[in-house]
Amino acid sequence: MIDLRNADVNFKWEIIEQEGGEGLLKCFGCSDCSASCPVRYLDERYNPRKIIRLTLLGMKNEVLSSPFLWFCAHCHACTERCPQGIRVAEVINAIKNYAVKQGHCPEGLKVQLNLLNNSGRLYELEDFDLRKRQRMGLPELAKKISDVARIFQSTKIFERIAK
Amino acid sequence: MKRYALFLGCTVPVRAQHYELAARNVAKELGFEFIDLKETSCCGFPLKALDAETSLLMAARNVGLASNLGLDVVTLCNSCTAMLSDAQSKLKEGEFRKKFAELGFTYPNEIKVRHFVRMLYEDIGIEQIKKAIKKPLRNLRIVSHYGCHYLRPSYLHSFDSVENPHTLDELVEVTGATPVDYQEKKLCCGGSVLGVDEELAVKMANQKLSAAKNNSADAMVSICPFCTVMYEDNQRKVETKFNTTYNLPVLYYPQLLGLGLGLTPDACGLKFNRIKPDSIISKL
Repeated sequence: MIDLRNADVNFKWEIIEQEGGEGLLKCFGCSDCSASCPVRYLDERYNPRKIIRLTLLGMKNEVLSSPFLWFCAHCHACTERCPQGIRVAEVINAIKNYAVKQGHCPEGLKVQLNLLNNSGRLYELEDFDLRKRQRMGLPELAKKISDVARIFQSTKIFERIAK
Repeated sequence: MKRYALFLGCTVPVRAQHYELAARNVAKELGFEFIDLKETSCCGFPLKALDAETSLLMAARNVGLASNLGLDVVTLCNSCTAMLSDAQSKLKEGEFRKKFAELGFTYPNEIKVRHFVRMLYEDIGIEQIKKAIKKPLRNLRIVSHYGCHYLRPSYLHSFDSVENPHTLDELVEVTGATPVDYQEKKLCCGGSVLGVDEELAVKMANQKLSAAKNNSADAMVSICPFCTVMYEDNQRKVETKFNTTYNLPVLYYPQLLGLGLGLTPDACGLKFNRIKPDSIISKL
């Protein structure tokens, strides 16, 4: 049940401001995205059309606190089918980015952020891996890419998720 | 000899060295050279859901390293391909370019970013590969798994057809193997939701493994290390969950092509596949 008295009319404008969120207002609710979605096909709790509709109505809390927002596999099947030319997966990603800023960052993403901050790669190159690479005749790689931590500082990403 | 900058990303150099080995050996066989980018980081894709701008800056830095060498980029992972391509289009925007430059990064030469398989299709071509095939893989039935970001979103790639993809099937066919046409071809592996809901991811992977079995495939061909995590590394988990047996070998495309080019199973890294492809080797 949607109670519009709880609606935040500014929510949709905030999403449009996010990277990738700009197509949101063009949605006329046809549901092609949901019909094309491989996640929706297997699990009805994830519904891209519903997320976009709720966003347009301003149901901020429902959208941002929903665990199903994170079910989007970012496969872009929806983007290819949208008759309005909306980059649907990018809009959903913009909502995720905004959810993070509002303190809804999934733990798994924080773990990945820390790994990348430490070595610049998701899987650190351990001595074991380096030896295996050597045995297979594969070239050496730098163990640590410190530019990544520098990028994180410039975008203040840790301050964002600390909220 | 044509040269390309090889972008490895995170997963391939640590978890899928056999993919890398096969790709390098195929390159030698077909007469092109990979230049290694030792200082590249993660492409940025894993952080896109957290903050798109940060992930785009990571991707742009990687593209910049290749641009400084004036070399086109070849990737081995679908998501790396999409992420780096996204950064390239982003670099055309003034504000983003400014942040990129403020970090001390440069992008002096316009270059292409493509998946290894696309580069094979476009730069080497089916005819050329056909001439190089020494051991046609006549008895193999193969299901091709394109994965999502090899072709989608089409506004970044503009290649093949998202609704009716055919390039990988053509590349399978040229090895002498039979590409199987199947309804589930375009489905996502589920890898992106593995960290969110494992049961859902396993269900997604099952759809295609089940289709492979129903179509009597000898193996699946993958072109993305993340998809292979779902179909090969997690295959036992899928079998347990759905109380069935697949035992389906999952080969990276360069491994299949390598066999057709007459490389040894060792040169194709086949001993590192988790589902042992003995059934395939005995059919050759």
